[in-house]
Amino acid sequence: MTLLQVRNVTRRFGGLTAVDDVSFDVYEGTVKALIGPNGAGKSTLFNALTGFDRPDEGSVVFEGEELVGRKPREVVRVGLARTFQNTQLFEEMTAGENVMVGSQARQRRGFTTAMLRLPNAVAEDREAREDASRLLRLIGIEEWIDVPAADLPAGIRRLVEIARALATRPRLLLLDEPAAGLNATETRELVQTLFRVRDSGITVVIVEHDMGLVMEVSDEIVVLDRGAKIAEGPPRMIQKDPAVIAAYLGGEVDDDV
Amino acid sequence: MNARTLRALAPLIAVALALIVPLAVSDRFLLKVFTFCGINALVVVGLALLFGYAGQVSLGHAAFMGLGAYTSAYCTVELGWPWLLGFVAAGVVAALGGLILAIPSLRLKGYYLAMATLGFGLLMSLAFIQAEPITGGVDGFSGIPFPSIGPVEFRSASSLYWLVWGAVGIAVLVAHNITSLRPGRAMRALHGSELGAQACGVDIVGVKVRTFVVSALMAGLAGALYAGVVGFISPSLFTLTASITFIAMTIVGGTSSLAGPILAAVALTLVQYSDALIPGLPRETAQTIQSYQEDIYGLAIVLIVIFAPRGLAGLWKRRSAGNEAS
Ligand SMILES: Nc1ncnc2c1ncn2[C@@H]1O[C@H](COP(=O)(O)OP(=O)(O)OP(=O)(O)O)[C@@H](O)[C@H]1O
Ligand SMILES: [Mg+2]
Repeated sequence: MTLLQVRNVTRRFGGLTAVDDVSFDVYEGTVKALIGPNGAGKSTLFNALTGFDRPDEGSVVFEGEELVGRKPREVVRVGLARTFQNTQLFEEMTAGENVMVGSQARQRRGFTTAMLRLPNAVAEDREAREDASRLLRLIGIEEWIDVPAADLPAGIRRLVEIARALATRPRLLLLDEPAAGLNATETRELVQTLFRVRDSGITVVIVEHDMGLVMEVSDEIVVLDRGAKIAEGPPRMIQKDPAVIAAYLGGEVDDDV
Repeated sequence: MNARTLRALAPLIAVALALIVPLAVSDRFLLKVFTFCGINALVVVGLALLFGYAGQVSLGHAAFMGLGAYTSAYCTVELGWPWLLGFVAAGVVAALGGLILAIPSLRLKGYYLAMATLGFGLLMSLAFIQAEPITGGVDGFSGIPFPSIGPVEFRSASSLYWLVWGAVGIAVLVAHNITSLRPGRAMRALHGSELGAQACGVDIVGVKVRTFVVSALMAGLAGALYAGVVGFISPSLFTLTASITFIAMTIVGGTSSLAGPILAAVALTLVQYSDALIPGLPRETAQTIQSYQEDIYGLAIVLIVIFAPRGLAGLWKRRSAGNEAS
């Protein structure tokens, strides 16, 4: 079943077309990778999908709902959560508190109930706390729960941001370069985490430069080059695609390669 | 006693100490000084929410205090309203002011927000002078009645002290509830990363507006209390200098804390009244200290920013974290 339909999305910055008429589908329960050289438009596309940026043209439909024009906070409430290429953690808050903020996407109690410390506000708080420790345990980093984000190693920071996104209870998780800054062991753990996330029924879209990881986790790959989609298909086909090879080598296809 | 029990007991000890002050202090002027400490603490609790938690600077908070003070004075003296009603009106008017100031905060950050709030503060302090029919202009507003709630009138120094610190207690309770639950985390998240907060579904517009309103409300109520305690207000009380004093107290107190800013509010208020505090202090010495008051505040900020960027609260947290680790 199609969970997300991206149709003819275009985003221009002045004379530069950062995303050029891109269309693809994401099927429920799969992992889709979005790859391409630096500056290909991957992060720009992510922003367009999640309400952080408005595409000039095109539509993004999630389960029949149009997302273009929605605010980020509305998009996350519909069920799309994301992480950032430059991690956007709350530095003075602990790992656990960071993840608790993720729960706010599905909570409803506001200022007044909190001010009066009404029982449902307290209950919601306890729920968020339990959720945070459960998610950090799921990802295998529960020992960092009380450490301020500013003091976390780079690899753990990426994982905390994933846990925080999961706390919003998404149907679709969008990860922008989750393996950047991770060492080999941490990357192995990330792969396991991704499989666990997928097996729990969450669909994943991942932007990543680590080709080993991409080939291992993804069911399908979309390749962008200078804003345009140049290929789409399962990993083994993409590996052999002449246009993809050309884009990555930055030149003409050479039959000997 | 380990750090955790100490931390749990600290608020109770603080409340007990605050309550018994009027029993231990017989000097009426000194008691009034401690009452002023409470009024400033009330402003600073609101500013701690806005600045220390949500990271939104305000260099115009004295304006909210002024709005509250003049509203309460006008309602009680000119309109003959009961004090409590004027007190509520003061809160409402100041909160509306906060709502107005929240609008630039939605678009501006950092220095630009500082400038916008500073402009608001200057504008209001001019308005207090210009709106003579309501405010009494430069001469000020006098003859403001003592606070009263129904038949109970707060006339004596100790009853005024309890009234003010009672209000501080309620404000702290409300602020603590906000900060320890979901809105407080949303505020700190906003402070940490607006992008990250949005990605978590935080309504950043809503959080900013609500925080500005609550913060302005507390300053307005503090203004109304001041008017009732002193009986006289004038525009010179609600100037840029006062706003900077409040932000100084908040910075010295530290981010993400209520206790730190309250402590700083009390300490820095006492600097203004060194003569009352230290009996036998020669008049000239007291005057010297007072004339250097702003320099002392400035120095306090510089020292804190250099040596303890998270303020008094940061020092305390680091120490107790160290204790728990050992
Ligand atoms: N806000 C902006 N204003 C102007 N140009 C932009 C803006 N955001 C991105 N660009 C440009 O759009 C192009 C695509 O950038 P984008 O960040 O989407 O690439 P990317 O595929 O994520 O690259 P990387 O792998 O380096 O992260 C780049 O040329 C970039 O300079
Ligand atoms: Mg990118």
